[in-house]
Parts: sequence; C-alpha cells; structure tokens
Amino acid sequence: MSAFPPWSWVPCPKQPWGASASHDVEGYLSLENIILSCYAQEEHDEISCPQKEETSCSEKEELIDIATLVQSNCSKVPYYDLHIIYSASYRVPVLFFRAYYSDGEPLGFNAIEKDLPAHSAKALLDSKWTFITQEEHPYLNRPWFKLHPCGTSEWMKLLFHVDVSVAKNGVTIELYLLSWLSVVGQVVGLRIPLEMLNQP
Amino acid sequence: MAADSPSSVRKVVVHLRATGDAPILKQAKFKIPGTDKFAKVIDFLCRQLHRETLFVYVNSAFSPNPDELVIDLYNNFGFDGKLVVNYACSMAWG
Repeated sequence: MSAFPPWSWVPCPKQPWGASASHDVEGYLSLENIILSCYAQEEHDEISCPQKEETSCSEKEELIDIATLVQSNCSKVPYYDLHIIYSASYRVPVLFFRAYYSDGEPLGFNAIEKDLPAHSAKALLDSKWTFITQEEHPYLNRPWFKLHPCGTSEWMKLLFHVDVSVAKNGVTIELYLLSWLSVVGQVVGLRIPLEMLNQP
Repeated sequence: MAADSPSSVRKVVVHLRATGDAPILKQAKFKIPGTDKFAKVIDFLCRQLHRETLFVYVNSAFSPNPDELVIDLYNNFGFDGKLVVNYACSMAWG
C-alpha cells in the first residue's frame, strides 16, 4: 500500500462579498505531488532489482547504471495535485485535481484519462455519477479538472442508507469524508486503509 | 472428512444485495477464494446484470477499491460468516 503523506488544510481568505458568518473558515484539503499507486509500485520494482543484480554480478565486472534506469521512467511519471473543496451550491465536497510531468508540463484531459486506473476510466465514460469537467479553481484562479458533483449526494445517500448505526446516530465529518473518498479516490487510484473505517 | 483447506485458499461467502432500483439476482450468494481481488466480484455483477458499470459498496458506507483482496474485506467488514456487498445502478447517460 502506498504511503501518502496526510492531507493538509489550506485556509483561504474569505471573499469580501461572501455572506458567511465572521467565524466561518474557508479553505480546502490539499494533497500534492503524488504519484498514482500503479506508478509507485513500478518505480519500487525498478529500484530493487538492479541492486540485486549488482551484488551478484560484481565479480563479472559488469556495471549497471541504476541512475539511468530510474530517471528514464521518472520523467514519464505524472504527478497529481488533489484538492477537496466544499461546493456550497451542491452542498457536497468536490475533488479538484491536476496532473503534470516532473518538468512541469501539464497533462491534458486525454493524457489524464489514459493515465487513470483502467476500470475508473471506463466508469467515467459510462456513468452520469462520476465525470470529469474542467473549471476554474475556486481559490487559485487557474483551470483545474474536477469530478463533477451532481451525482454525489445520490450515491452518498446510498452509501449511508445501509449503515444502521448512521441512521441512528448520524455521521461525523471525518466518516463522511472517508466514505466519500472511498468512491472518489478510486478515480485517481487512492486507496483508503481498511483499518481506518473500523474505528468505533 | 477432507482435511481443512490451508488458510491461503479459504473461501469467503459473499451475499450480493440489490439497492436502489437495481435488479435482484436470482442467485445472490456465492463463495469466492479470499485471495481473489474485489474486482472479480464487481466484474461478475456487471456481467450478470449486463451493465458496464455499477455502484458497489459494503455495509460500512464504504466503496472498496477493486484491488482489495476479498479476504481483507471480509476480515474488516464481514458479519455472521459472510460479506454483504451492495450494488446499485449508476445510471448511465440516457
């Protein structure tokens, strides 16, 4: 399981024309510079194998250039920035994301679609609950991709409908986000450790 | 009596449950090797229901990643000797 750093909260100054109360905080959750899990695994394999060969080949005077091996794969690996931003109009969290190569070149929609886990790419094309659009980031004023929120409340209702304890006690924001992220994360290959959901 | 299978090929009982307006399967209970990935359950459901995509989730308000092992899901979310897997139609366009 890939070990991502924890999400961080990025507070943003409130828009002066906003009608929110003075104690409200605005901002978004951020996870940046991550590699999708399929790539992280490939990189790990590439690094471990040459080392093994090097020790066994040392007597044969063969040198394996490890640096070249890793670098040529690194330049093709896209990095992702993920932001979770609350949508006041849809009243659900929304995943914003963008992808870029290590030299900073951004990935367009077609390149991202090819890079996403195969099963989610298929689901994106077929489902009206999860599809990608491009839109200006609410705080950063640059075009980002987002997973459109129009289906979110429907599938969140389904997720919680079968959970009896939720029907009785409601749900905390943390649990809501975990459930939400279990669905949305699949689009970008994020895996939630199963143990996180078993806390009482 | 045959000897117990080694735990590595232990089978998990999966109970498939329709939610929302999804069609109900005639046969809803299956045994699947614990070492299989959840993707197999999803693919099976899609084939049975003749759908490209389904919304699939377990009872703890969680939608498992298709790469998760069925035995791990059973250990975390199983109850009463089985793993309940809910499915709903994800309403394709049109």
